[in-house]
Amino acid sequence: MLKTIGLEYHYQYGKKIEFPEIQIERGQRLLISGFSGCGKTTLLSLIAGALKLQHGDITFDNQEYSKMSSLLLDKFRADHIGYIFQTLNLIPFLSVSENIALGIRFSKPRKSKVIDLNQEILRLITSLGLEKEILNIPINHLSVGQQQRVAAARALLGRPDLILADEPTSALDNDTTEKFLSEVMETFDPSHQAIIMVSHDASIAPYFDTVIDFNKHNA
Amino acid sequence: MLSLLLKSIRSRIIPTSLVTISLMASMVLLLSIERIQQGAEEGFNQSISGVDVIIGPRSSSLELVLYTVFHLGRPTNNITTKTIDDIKLRNDIDWIVPIALGDSHKGFRVIATQSNYFEHIKYSDNQSLTFLKGRAFSELPEVVLGSDVADKLNYSLGSNIQITHGSVEATGNKHDDFSFKASGILNKTGTPIDQAIFVDLKGYELLHLGWKSGKKVFSLDNIDLSTIPKEDLNPKTLTAAFVGLKSKLTLFNFSKSIREYPNEAISAVIPGVALSELWSIVGLVDKGFELLSWIIIAISLIAMITLIIASLDNRKQEMTIYRANGASPRFLATMVIYESLVIGLVAIIGAIILVTIVTYFATSQLNLTLGISPSFQWISLGEIKVFSVILLAGVLSSLIPAVMVFRKNLHQTLS
Repeated sequence: MLKTIGLEYHYQYGKKIEFPEIQIERGQRLLISGFSGCGKTTLLSLIAGALKLQHGDITFDNQEYSKMSSLLLDKFRADHIGYIFQTLNLIPFLSVSENIALGIRFSKPRKSKVIDLNQEILRLITSLGLEKEILNIPINHLSVGQQQRVAAARALLGRPDLILADEPTSALDNDTTEKFLSEVMETFDPSHQAIIMVSHDASIAPYFDTVIDFNKHNA
Repeated sequence: MLSLLLKSIRSRIIPTSLVTISLMASMVLLLSIERIQQGAEEGFNQSISGVDVIIGPRSSSLELVLYTVFHLGRPTNNITTKTIDDIKLRNDIDWIVPIALGDSHKGFRVIATQSNYFEHIKYSDNQSLTFLKGRAFSELPEVVLGSDVADKLNYSLGSNIQITHGSVEATGNKHDDFSFKASGILNKTGTPIDQAIFVDLKGYELLHLGWKSGKKVFSLDNIDLSTIPKEDLNPKTLTAAFVGLKSKLTLFNFSKSIREYPNEAISAVIPGVALSELWSIVGLVDKGFELLSWIIIAISLIAMITLIIASLDNRKQEMTIYRANGASPRFLATMVIYESLVIGLVAIIGAIILVTIVTYFATSQLNLTLGISPSFQWISLGEIKVFSVILLAGVLSSLIPAVMVFRKNLHQTLS
């Protein structure tokens, strides 16, 4: 489904990272762990098409990123990738359901997978352990843990082929982290989807079938 | 998109409102100046009709029109009645209405004239003066009141009026030895006529029998008025005379020959020409104000772009989230452009409402000070053009922040 080939990234301040080659298929759950600053988020941004390739290439369902314009990459990301950001990136003046609905607002293929939007949002938040009463309240009225689930629901809406999660548990305590990961994995559909999560916390490895340790790679 | 945009604007309501208000205020300024100028011009132009020439002492044509038609300023000199009588004999004249100015009543100007004033002097588009109540004066102690005079002083037919010597009530001496009675009240004209009191020239002369060099020498109380021969009440001097010609073709020849009148230094003024002169002077000041207003609008537009650019920095997260979720550049640019459209439209609607209120009060003020009543309108074609230019400029200028939105680095903003 997705393959990276010879990816390298040169930061403006001079640092250069060579990324290990990654190949992932539908149903696969990949964890990339490593210390802060090792390039985990940069790799996710490259895979998401949010960062321009400098060296190497990525193929996703036989489509090469290097041959796509940034506009096409934006469209491709909207149609195929659900992104759970480290900083959540929820819009404060929108309600919970409006924030979740943003996940499919700009993608016809993902929109077509959702028959009843309200019902699907309700199903997602329930499976992620949230109450339906929160749907219409402003996002900043929720706790960080609740917001994290809303961000996950937005990424999962419309069943994207690939879910990218950037340190989604960094702001959560151990109990909440476990609960959150269990809920995400339950919502995850292995027949159609793959997931790549980056985290500095190696203790979450049991939730994944493949783990790449950037510390070892860079060493 | 509109619902997203409105929610976004609501989250930034204070800075957005401030920019909208500043844009609105500058439009109000521009349009108010234009409307008041147009209204004043229209009001002035409607104040006199049917008069071909005004004859008066030699002075500037503008000055003569201002004090004879608009009752502004004071006559600097008089002309002799003999001169007017001479001119009356000319074949090219259809009618002549002499006037004498100088006195007042409770702040309203007194115009001494003949009863044919109400027949020949017209206003607006050749509309004749009509009486709301009563009739023109026919006896010496009778007056005709303009509609504003009757309204404001609560006068009706038969009201007794004493006139003050000079044009300012506070410093003038009252002609308290002679009273006039209101014989007629004119209908409203929306011109300075509404704020005038009309007396017979002979009655006016009678008032001044006991006066010399602006001071009362003897009182009329001690005189039996019926013993005064009517010929003695013919005024020796007049302020001016309104003239109607038999043919408009003779207008310029007539004016020229009046200016060349050998026995007295007099001038003949064509009201339309004098008014054009007035508007060429006022127009210069007006153009200056208009330029200033456009500068203010430009500054407001810059403020609007600055706000959008500044808010983009605060909104980069919002915009980037849209983009991360697949929003096209067109969506983001349209959102920024729509925002400037919303700001512009709200400012325009607010400006129309405010300008209408300003115009209403300015119209009352113009009526109060100049006696003219410009017509009142909601929005003109010219104003729609001005609004379109402002809106277009706003939209075009918002393209700058729209481009900036898409150039922002998605990765740096999201992580």
